[in-house]
Amino acid sequence: MAAPVPSLLRQELERLAESDQRIDGRGRWDRRDVQLEVDILYNAEGSAKVTWGDTVVYAGVKFELRTPWPDRPTQGSLMCGAELRPVAHRKYEPGPPSPQSIELGRVVDRGIRESGCIDMEALCIVPGEKVWGVMIDIHVLSDGGNIFDACGLAAIAALRTAVVPAERFDVGEDHVLAVKGTPVMASFQRVGGRFVYDPCEDEETGGEERIHITLGDEEHLHSLQKGLKGAFTPAEFAEILEVARTHCGELRELVSSMEGN
Amino acid sequence: MMGGYGDVKLLNDDGTRLDGRTVDEMRPVEIKAGILPAAQGSAWVKHGLNVAVVAVYGPMEAHPRKIQRQDRAVLDVRYNMAPFSTSDRIRPGFNRRSREISKVTAEALESVVLLERYPRSKIRVEIEILAAEAGTRCVGITAASVALADAGIPMRDMVVGIASGKIQDTVVLDLDKAEDNYGQADLPMGICPNTGELVFLQMDGDLSIEEYNLATEYNYKAAAEIHEIMVAALKDRYDGGEA
Repeated sequence: MAAPVPSLLRQELERLAESDQRIDGRGRWDRRDVQLEVDILYNAEGSAKVTWGDTVVYAGVKFELRTPWPDRPTQGSLMCGAELRPVAHRKYEPGPPSPQSIELGRVVDRGIRESGCIDMEALCIVPGEKVWGVMIDIHVLSDGGNIFDACGLAAIAALRTAVVPAERFDVGEDHVLAVKGTPVMASFQRVGGRFVYDPCEDEETGGEERIHITLGDEEHLHSLQKGLKGAFTPAEFAEILEVARTHCGELRELVSSMEGN
Repeated sequence: MMGGYGDVKLLNDDGTRLDGRTVDEMRPVEIKAGILPAAQGSAWVKHGLNVAVVAVYGPMEAHPRKIQRQDRAVLDVRYNMAPFSTSDRIRPGFNRRSREISKVTAEALESVVLLERYPRSKIRVEIEILAAEAGTRCVGITAASVALADAGIPMRDMVVGIASGKIQDTVVLDLDKAEDNYGQADLPMGICPNTGELVFLQMDGDLSIEEYNLATEYNYKAAAEIHEIMVAALKDRYDGGEA
């Protein structure tokens, strides 16, 4: 919990990597325990809580009526934002959104948007005049490492339970938001010279570059992001992509098992 | 001023409230301590449909140095509503309301925390409202007290946040959303159940002195009940669980 001495931590992580061990005892491609709860918050039109190891994240979906963009008069809009508020860790300070939280929100946003799971045309009410804006807000409450995957999971799980509040806005009847597909993210970090899946807090502190992969239902890639300083080879990427396929599939099943609001 | 929509019916003909509660009945309260692994101390409180989560960090070095006090710690309290916590989405960031609530909440907690034990340091209290159904500042205070206790910060007493108010000329305990919107008065208090002192007090609307006295009586009664739930949550956390 207290800030460790990074150079000592790095040495320890390197020593463990020599015998292919991890600091919390997991195997290289093992995931921490993940718990998902959905539809838990009053006032949010869809909500989810993800407890991923020591990481705790909430996501809430809200809708608003807006005028469509002039070049897309028949499409609604989607926005996904993440906040790394000081509640989540002693390292986070109050203030305007940090580059880190903007990156996080945008990477999750791209995975959902580009998977096409939300039909933007279906969010149109009156072409050129009135469309739904879907806002997914992610609130990180405890950063115990790998908040990217936890945020991605919370966001799609919240979306999949969302009900469009049409009655409150006087534009028809409330209905379940149509979501076709479950994009899921898998994140990797270079620790002690090699990539591991689902880095914990110490591995993030003492690690190098990270790679985030979002896979859709057909195992197509929908968002990729390399973060932090470091260089990797195509062979390394091919290896982690295989691992991502397995984990994304398992987590997609977890999301599907929660449905039916 | 409260909403002032005096013609909205908030009491049933048998004297009960729209959600079936009697006038001196509070909404159900659930509390858990130690729910955020990254924090030194934390709490989750569900009060009616309100949900508040609080993390406590510190005591830690106070910086910038000009905020340091040579003889005591400073409490850095932030009250924040999540964008999805209300009916209409809230833009992230501070506003006048959250700044004021943060300030008075800090002053309430400063009245009970033994700040003189930690000169030159800072204790951070982060209150996050995840769902709002009237009375969030009170729920935040209750949750902050449990989180401070969970963090092992010494206090003279815990503070319980609770409000009573007036609807249809009747004093009632613990206003829900409709009662808050259409009622005539709201009297939130921060009560120390052991010492009987008040460390937080606000009010808006219209109350006679008799009504104030009755609302206060309701608040003290509820504070004793909530205090038991707070203590049980803390005992639960440390009985047999991991330290």
